[in-house]
Amino acid sequence: MTSSDVRDAVRDATAARAPLRIAGRGTWLHAGRPVNATRTLSLSDLGGVVHYEPGDFTLTARAGTTLGELTSATLPHRQFLALDPFGDPSGTLGATVATAASGPLAYAFGGPRDNVIGLEVVTGDGAIVRCGGRVVKNVAGFDLTRLFTGAWGTLGVITEVSVRLRALPAVDETYAMAVDDRPDQLSALIAALRVASIAPLAMDLASPLLASRVGAGSTTTLLVRLAGNAASVRAQRRVLDTFGDVHDMPVDVWNIVRTAEPASAIVARLSARPSRMASVWTDAREAMAGVPGAMMIASVGRGIARCVLPETTPDAARRLARCDATVIFEQLPAALWKEIAPSPVSDRLSRDIRERFDPAHVLNPGVLGEAVAP
Amino acid sequence: MAMAALPISEAASVALSPALERAASRLASIVGPRAILSRPSELVTYSADGLPFYRKRPALAVFPETREQLIAVVRALAEERVPFVPRGAGTGLSGGALAENDAVVIGLNRLRRIISIDPENRRAVVEPGAVNAGLTRAASEYGLHYAPDPSSQTACTIGGNVAENAGGPHCLKYGVTLNHVIALTVILPDGELVSLGSTEGERDGYDLLGAFVGSEGCFGVAVDVTVRLVKNPESVRTLLADYTAIVDAARAVSAIIASGVVPAAMEMMDGPTIRAVEASIYAAGYPVDADAVLLVELDGLAAGLEEDVALVERLCREAGARSVRVARDEAERARLWQGRKKAFGAMGRISPDLVVQDAVVPRTRLPDVLAEIHRIAQETGVLVCNVFHAGDGNLHPNIAYDARNPEATARVHHAMRAIMNACIAAGGTITGEHGVGLDKLDYMPLVFTDDTLDAMCRLRDVFDPERRANPGKVVPVRSCREWRMAPNTRRGELPA
Ligand SMILES: Cc1cc2nc3c(=O)[nH]c(=O)nc-3n(C[C@H](O)[C@H](O)[C@H](O)COP(=O)(O)OP(=O)(O)OC[C@H]3O[C@@H](n4cnc5c(N)ncnc54)[C@H](O)[C@@H]3O)c2cc1C
Repeated sequence: MTSSDVRDAVRDATAARAPLRIAGRGTWLHAGRPVNATRTLSLSDLGGVVHYEPGDFTLTARAGTTLGELTSATLPHRQFLALDPFGDPSGTLGATVATAASGPLAYAFGGPRDNVIGLEVVTGDGAIVRCGGRVVKNVAGFDLTRLFTGAWGTLGVITEVSVRLRALPAVDETYAMAVDDRPDQLSALIAALRVASIAPLAMDLASPLLASRVGAGSTTTLLVRLAGNAASVRAQRRVLDTFGDVHDMPVDVWNIVRTAEPASAIVARLSARPSRMASVWTDAREAMAGVPGAMMIASVGRGIARCVLPETTPDAARRLARCDATVIFEQLPAALWKEIAPSPVSDRLSRDIRERFDPAHVLNPGVLGEAVAP
Repeated sequence: MAMAALPISEAASVALSPALERAASRLASIVGPRAILSRPSELVTYSADGLPFYRKRPALAVFPETREQLIAVVRALAEERVPFVPRGAGTGLSGGALAENDAVVIGLNRLRRIISIDPENRRAVVEPGAVNAGLTRAASEYGLHYAPDPSSQTACTIGGNVAENAGGPHCLKYGVTLNHVIALTVILPDGELVSLGSTEGERDGYDLLGAFVGSEGCFGVAVDVTVRLVKNPESVRTLLADYTAIVDAARAVSAIIASGVVPAAMEMMDGPTIRAVEASIYAAGYPVDADAVLLVELDGLAAGLEEDVALVERLCREAGARSVRVARDEAERARLWQGRKKAFGAMGRISPDLVVQDAVVPRTRLPDVLAEIHRIAQETGVLVCNVFHAGDGNLHPNIAYDARNPEATARVHHAMRAIMNACIAAGGTITGEHGVGLDKLDYMPLVFTDDTLDAMCRLRDVFDPERRANPGKVVPVRSCREWRMAPNTRRGELPA
């Protein structure tokens, strides 16, 4: 499979008025709103690293390459792609960029918008667009790379991605600490951590159920990932010790966190100004109270709480939607989307972008809740 | 690329079109008669930016002092369908803030307040004309700073930084403007006020904020900007390594990047630059017989920093450094940096004119590209001074010359084009931080296909369907599809 095959598929779909469900490896198709498509365009055969010059710390791969394959390619050079979205490593690079999915490492490295340096995309009118490039700094022209990142495929099918890589740190350790998550205590802890002499790669609060999954006990737990040279990590660990009883965790704990949620679930992200983290945590915890199997993980520095509920608890989802925070649903039962998740493609600019890049509405129509002709 | 300075007619006043006449009186009633300029003599300052090649006189320049005035100005221009160009401090290096004689410059330098600083969330809200260094100064009482630090930071505005997606030495570790803007209020060319990004958590949907950053004034005017502030590092160490061969310095850059240590900044200056700096009042104590110096800064938590300093020092030496000096105190550090930050100014003293160029190459290609630039300089007989963000592969090959000499000017143009081609051939791009503006329009088709340029036109048309905001910049109008498909339109003319 090549980019021209993708272009042909898009053109065919337009001619046949047969909208496409764009798929990577299909590991996360239950995310986003239901798509009104009659055909599936799978990019799983469009895989492989196209260009990798370790000395440049940049890599270009086709969209269907999995994150796991990228890890295998970069690890021998002691490098890595700093994107750790929730899900297992068989998710594809293209889907990660299309959904702007990020994970705990986003605290230190940002999300796809901060790590992608170039894209090749087939737009809805069948044009092959190559934006950005293979260099880490680039302001040539309008920033289409940012536009396509996180557009859920509705503006174009991503066929190739260039990313920047990071060097594996000499030491990379994760620590756990039980936390009193009553609002005032939590708020004070977060404020103190903010000014402490630490520079974590990730710092996440895990709800009791999630904490027990990773073997960190059965209370709300703070997971802190510290990296750097040995002296730096040692000193940061000593700072953490002043906050409570700190345990060593295997670094693999992050993989468990990323794959802890069941495939069929309700998933929502609640976010606010970082200073409101404790209150968002408290609100979300109350909204999920009493729901068996509910879990939460919050990136405290970013002010984002990710909530996971069983699919059968729509009322809890409704309660989350009413929390005093920005609520973005990733997964919901089909019937709930219209009720509690307003479309982000409702303003003039977003609607116009949708029309201009996919005039025939053949790309994932409806995935963002946007109004598209049937 | 460059064009010879265009002479501007010295007529005392110029007849305005009826739409402009109407606009002028409406604008005067919004901002008051003293905040609008129309006489050619008054408009001289607004007829150029930081790039010496172009002069274009706008019809008018208007200077709103409040947010309400700015909004009213843009709405009046929308109603009269008059083109406009936003302008911050005019330090841009790609001709981006220049306007044709049918357009109005909206000067934003009076809208310069820092609206609020929120130390707890480490962010600030500023008006578009707030000066970059002023924000860092205001944030310093909270132990914070605004990280993107263009060398022009004492003059350039946050609005201009957003429009250009400006960088600076410390963007190697901290990221460019894009990575530091949380939210924007923008007035679109049609007068609609929109908010992009979000101050209250994530923003779902298309990344309109990301699309706006770097849009070079073509997507509307930033009315206020919410930026991220960064905690001041506990500790900072600055090293100066000197080399008798610039390729050795380039190899040191590669070795440091490969080691996994991320310096806060890693800047290179070549022999001609060093000598220009040392002959100026900004002399920083660089060795004048060196072929290149590398300025490396490491910062962060105090614990572990000395280990990184030792590693970087060793890598610099292994690459062939003649000496490596670590600044002993803040005064020495400031002096080492002053030479770098004032290098453009120092070069300006060698000859009357200076072209500041901007291109990016993959970092492993720095040694070959620098050698190629050297070859081009010799072949064309021009003086190239390289001073650049080596850690990002972001080159600034600058040429000092005398624009009054047409033969020399022609050689400068030739050399510039050859250098740009060499960077593109190495897998690089035509600008890393100064933007396309007017200056690099002709290079755009060398790095982007027609379909890609057309997609950029489509994005612009979403924000500005009438193409009244900073017309004629960034994407050559002939690349837009309806233009390519209309056989009878003439080059350089906007299709209706
Ligand atoms: C000596 C010197 C050193 C420099 N060093 C660097 C460097 O290290 N890194 C770097 O990135 N740049 C550098 N520059 C270039 C320049 O300073 C930057 O591009 C800066 O961001 C421009 O800001 P300004 O306020 O001067 O913008 P202007 O030159 O006034 O305008 C630049 C562009 O921004 C648009 N614009 C301005 N304000 C707004 C607004 N509010 N809304 C929408 N559009 C707007 C204008 O229309 C124009 O297209 C340097 C320039 C000089 C002269």
